[in-house]
Amino acid sequence: MKKCKKCLLPETHESVTFDKEGVCSVCRQIEFKTTKIDWDKKKEDLKELVEQYRGKYDYDCIVPFSGGKDSVWTLYYLVKELKVKPLVVRFDHGFLRPNLNENTTKVLRELGCDFHTFTPNWKVVQKLMLQSFLEKGDFCWHCHTGIFSYPMHVAIRYNVPLILWGEPSAEYTSYYSYDEVEEVDEKRFNRFVNLGINAVDMAVRLGGTLDERDFKPYTYPKLKDLRKLQYKSVCLGSYIPWDVKKNTKIIMDELGWKGDVVENVPGQYNYEKIECYMQGVRDYIKYIKRGYTRPTHLASIDIRHDRLNREDGAKMVEEFEGKEPPSLEIFLELTGLTKEEFYTISESHAISPWKFKGIQAELGAKLPDFKAWSRDGKMKREDAEVQIDRWKKSK
Amino acid sequence: MSKLRLIPKLQLKPASYNSNKLVLVVTKQFDNIIEIGDPVSQSKIFQDQVSDELIFINIDSKNRQEISLLAKIISEVSEEIFMPLTVGGGVTSIEDFRLLLNNGADKISINSAAISNPDLIRIAAEKFGSQCVVVSIDYKKDENNKYFVYTNGGLNKTSYDPIEWALIAQRYGAGELLLTSISHDGMKNGLDLYITNEVSKAVNIPVITSGGCGLAKDFSDGFKIGKASAVAAGSFFAHRDQNFMQTRSQIYNSGVNIRK
Amino acid sequence: MVGIVDYGMGNLLSVYNAFDYLGEDVKICKVPEDFEDTDHIVIPGVGAFKDCINLISENGFIDKLHEHVINKGKPTLGICLGMQVMAKKGYEFGVHDGLGWFDSEVKKIDVINTDLKLPNIGWNEINQTYDHPLFDGISNMTDFYLVHSYFMQCNNQSDILATYQYGQNNITAAVIKNNIFATQFHPEKSQDSGLKLLSNFIKWNP
Repeated sequence: MKKCKKCLLPETHESVTFDKEGVCSVCRQIEFKTTKIDWDKKKEDLKELVEQYRGKYDYDCIVPFSGGKDSVWTLYYLVKELKVKPLVVRFDHGFLRPNLNENTTKVLRELGCDFHTFTPNWKVVQKLMLQSFLEKGDFCWHCHTGIFSYPMHVAIRYNVPLILWGEPSAEYTSYYSYDEVEEVDEKRFNRFVNLGINAVDMAVRLGGTLDERDFKPYTYPKLKDLRKLQYKSVCLGSYIPWDVKKNTKIIMDELGWKGDVVENVPGQYNYEKIECYMQGVRDYIKYIKRGYTRPTHLASIDIRHDRLNREDGAKMVEEFEGKEPPSLEIFLELTGLTKEEFYTISESHAISPWKFKGIQAELGAKLPDFKAWSRDGKMKREDAEVQIDRWKKSK
Repeated sequence: MSKLRLIPKLQLKPASYNSNKLVLVVTKQFDNIIEIGDPVSQSKIFQDQVSDELIFINIDSKNRQEISLLAKIISEVSEEIFMPLTVGGGVTSIEDFRLLLNNGADKISINSAAISNPDLIRIAAEKFGSQCVVVSIDYKKDENNKYFVYTNGGLNKTSYDPIEWALIAQRYGAGELLLTSISHDGMKNGLDLYITNEVSKAVNIPVITSGGCGLAKDFSDGFKIGKASAVAAGSFFAHRDQNFMQTRSQIYNSGVNIRK
Repeated sequence: MVGIVDYGMGNLLSVYNAFDYLGEDVKICKVPEDFEDTDHIVIPGVGAFKDCINLISENGFIDKLHEHVINKGKPTLGICLGMQVMAKKGYEFGVHDGLGWFDSEVKKIDVINTDLKLPNIGWNEINQTYDHPLFDGISNMTDFYLVHSYFMQCNNQSDILATYQYGQNNITAAVIKNNIFATQFHPEKSQDSGLKLLSNFIKWNP
């Protein structure tokens, strides 16, 4: 499997390309970001942008929020530096961890903002998780689509046109690059957020078994309605340079935001993806499909910012990747799958040239809050079978 | 030189749970129908993932009413989709052509109707321009391993072989041909490069080939070996975590002159 | 208000939808009087030169178009056949007179002794002859969608704003003269690039 000569991303990373020197497009984007962008001008642009909306609506802007490092940093910056009055909007994917909830309360009390949170119907989420896992090898469809659609609905409902997101996708993938303005709109949603499936398509794939209205939180609002709102949906990271280590330190020091341990990731990365207890399974599936996962991603970020050399990064990856996560048993209960099915389905989505070589003997370590992770609402086997059988028929 | 084209093929059929709604389906050898999505939504996704054109075929046209359903879908699609749209399935008359063209279609595809009434090709080409007329040819080998053209969704064997019929369609004024291998359809085991090449060599009009794409390489082969002007695919995009843009990059990188 | 000429030919709906999608006021002009309240005019077209010019004439548009386009100088966009009929003469199915706005003739693309197919259907890289606000934000050699067998041969090189290569043929892709702009390709079928061009057309102040 070909890997970037600079970082550790392999050819199976979505959207990545390699240039003549064998360096990947993401590395090049970061080089561009750190050398070719006039960040002073961008900051001025941001101030101008915010002024256009300040005080004119019930809220100056909407800040989509998860409680993780990026959205907390975004909120911090907007409130402390730019003194905006935001409406913080969270789409609850259903797997928030206890520490995350504590962080959220602490941060919101410290910064002082109105908070709007929405938790979708679990029965719907469950079906969507299973269906998208079967069809796309990614069970997070409801989360991807909910996170990007739901705040837009809120923007329309509350009449707040400015929506400010966190890091631009150019930081990690090559669907967009740093030299273009990344609008967080329906095009972007269709390009890579929704995995090529919209909520109406899901409804068809589920054979019309759910109420049409159940799909609304995952449906991008009509362009007509967004136009009427005169919406502007952009990333803070297009205006100020994104540096996760720096950002994290600030929110830890200034707000008391706490990091956490995460399945199958070295301890020093205690700021990454700490908000979801399905993270371990998600990462593992990525490994089965693409032959790399979060440690590679984290090491690559450090390499690009000269915090780690490639050799040490590779060693770390070797040590941590490829282990089955303890949370897998929870995933199986919630989706009604057997472990064997889990592997069969994941492997069927492998991206060439990678081939999964089988389960490693060593299991990842259980995390301290493992027992607090809810297993309520298990999927009945016969319900799972309806979806599984349909999938088998389509192979 | 026009760039070679990648065209998602959207097969439509009334939903099993609501016959007034046309949904997107995928098939295997024209059978094993699975419902996978909403045509308007998928069109937008394909546009945002930069396809070159779209083809819509109603594969289960049982009655006249379905042309109106099809027209309605195309009308909705054309509100937000700004690339060429080819539409077909159950088209039998000039009125059908007109209805679909008025609702946003750019090209109309005819299949069974063209075989039973080749004059339709000529009249439509004269009225609307040959670039509007796509003749769709479904083919497979029979028990004696000889290729034949089949109509009515693969059910009726005709006496023509694909190359023969392709030449006749061209003579009658077709502007483009859409070839589909019934046996390769949905099997993800590659296109029928032999027939693709034979037909592309034989005619002067552009040939779109389809049926069997499973890897980016299959598309590349369709262009390089099959010499097609365009490759259409249906099942390819439906069930994998494979983004169209990624596929396009792979095909481009293999040296095919498509849009980047 | 964008007025789209409806003389009974051409895929009006796509052109209409494109302007509507861009948030512009747009209307279909079925009769000459419909032009009164427009400030931009679009002449679409798909099909044959002879039919096009005959229908424009039969529907009484010729004088009105002359009034609004030539006399009043409203920004005008011709698309595909809509561009071709602006020529002096067309040679498809006989010899026919066009609107005569461009000193040019419409002839069949020469593909004799080549592998090239006609009609040319597909995306082609459009070579902008020089910088112009109409192509603002559109890099040179961007692909646009074309479908045609006949092309406009200009006698006045300065009329040509863009061309594209088809085999040995250097084909006119866009022309411009005063307030009249026309493209052989279909902006309403060229996704983002096409929409950008249409958006530039709306902003254009000739």
